[in-house]
Amino acid sequence: MTDPDLGPRRPEAAPAVVRPERVEIDDLLRAVARGDDSAFARLYDLLAPRVFGLARRVLRDPAQAEEMAQEVLVEVWRTASRFDSQRGSGLSWVLTIAHRRTVDRVRSEQASADRMQKVAAASVHVPYDEVADQVGTRLERQQVRHCLDGLTELQRQAITLAYYGGHTYREVATLLDAALPTVKTRMRDGLIRLRDCLSVEVTS
Amino acid sequence: MTSPDIHALGGAYALDAVDDLERAAFDRHLAECEACTIEVAEYRETATRLAEGSWSVPPRRMREEVLARAAATAQLPPSGHRRGLASPVARWRRLAAAASVVGVLGIGAAATTYAVQEQRLDDQRTTVALAQERADRIQAVLAAPDAALHGGELAGGGRVTVVVSDTEDAGVVVLADAPAPGPDRAYQLWLVPDDSVAPISAGVLPAGQVQATQLIEGVRGRAAFAVSLEPAGGSPVPSTTPLVGISL
Repeated sequence: MTDPDLGPRRPEAAPAVVRPERVEIDDLLRAVARGDDSAFARLYDLLAPRVFGLARRVLRDPAQAEEMAQEVLVEVWRTASRFDSQRGSGLSWVLTIAHRRTVDRVRSEQASADRMQKVAAASVHVPYDEVADQVGTRLERQQVRHCLDGLTELQRQAITLAYYGGHTYREVATLLDAALPTVKTRMRDGLIRLRDCLSVEVTS
Repeated sequence: MTSPDIHALGGAYALDAVDDLERAAFDRHLAECEACTIEVAEYRETATRLAEGSWSVPPRRMREEVLARAAATAQLPPSGHRRGLASPVARWRRLAAAASVVGVLGIGAAATTYAVQEQRLDDQRTTVALAQERADRIQAVLAAPDAALHGGELAGGGRVTVVVSDTEDAGVVVLADAPAPGPDRAYQLWLVPDDSVAPISAGVLPAGQVQATQLIEGVRGRAAFAVSLEPAGGSPVPSTTPLVGISL
């Protein structure tokens, strides 16, 4: 327990920037839980590019990503009543479902050769329209990138290989030629550093 | 061994970088650690921010398809507060009433993942569907409402953890840290109907294998579970004294 990162939260950590879109997502989820389909349509517009983008990044295959995104978004409709804002933001709830399912897909189906083939296929595939970006998203990206840059090389690699690559920490340890406990620890203290850099807070 | 060890898994857990058994073990840990729940929620929230960099516009047709599918999909009714999230956790908490148990499964899960992964890879080479079925089955047993957790030490070293579910009529056996049985010997798993009937084989590990996560079927009504050391390929009835016997 000598790791300073394990200590209590720093009191001077800035409060999370409450972004209107995140609040809107929470409200929409509550409306969707009551069966409001126009709320779901609006929620779709806010979530689909994020869910699809994440699935596409991890799966590397647009067709599979689309299938996955559809599945996740319908699941959001189906299970909206389970969302509990006391436990985190709606966006995080949705992307947690999306990430876990996507990673499960990656692990269940793929021999690595198969995956490599898809990576190769995806690289010649004409990408979908990615132009419709948003200023807010761009700023967010810049902030995330800035905070990722603030990590040590091992922390950054461990986190990105796991999150974007869908690898288990054991696979990450192999890929980085690092010890298992080290990788576990770097994932954790890397997330702590990111959390503080991004001023993430959960009100509970 | 117990808390700090499993605790260190929080980052990997939030990144979905753990396997199914570790996930189950950590879920139980969360049920007993309110501070960890908040901590992990923050990690998840942080991980979510990583997704922002992957924003990508889906094909236009997807919108109509998703809205149509949603319109045809029944929604879960509102549950009691947090029930959807907490009930599996609460179940695990009951299972984990014996304090040592968290550590046992935690260690078992950590030590056996290589075997699981090797097994997975082999399965994928032969048939993906089979591996998926097995993984689903393991998941179903671990998540069953009546899943009961048992554990014991093997005579001569090693540890076995058994999760059984009557409703699933199946169990998951995690064998860890057992000594090497020799090239022509193998660990064999047994289910014991009752004292008057001979044990029934519940599976044989590959010769020489010392750790495994094994699915066993037909546990309903069995009095006990046992492990013995047998010639490679297994025996029809145990030919040696059981290394461990666990009442179910």
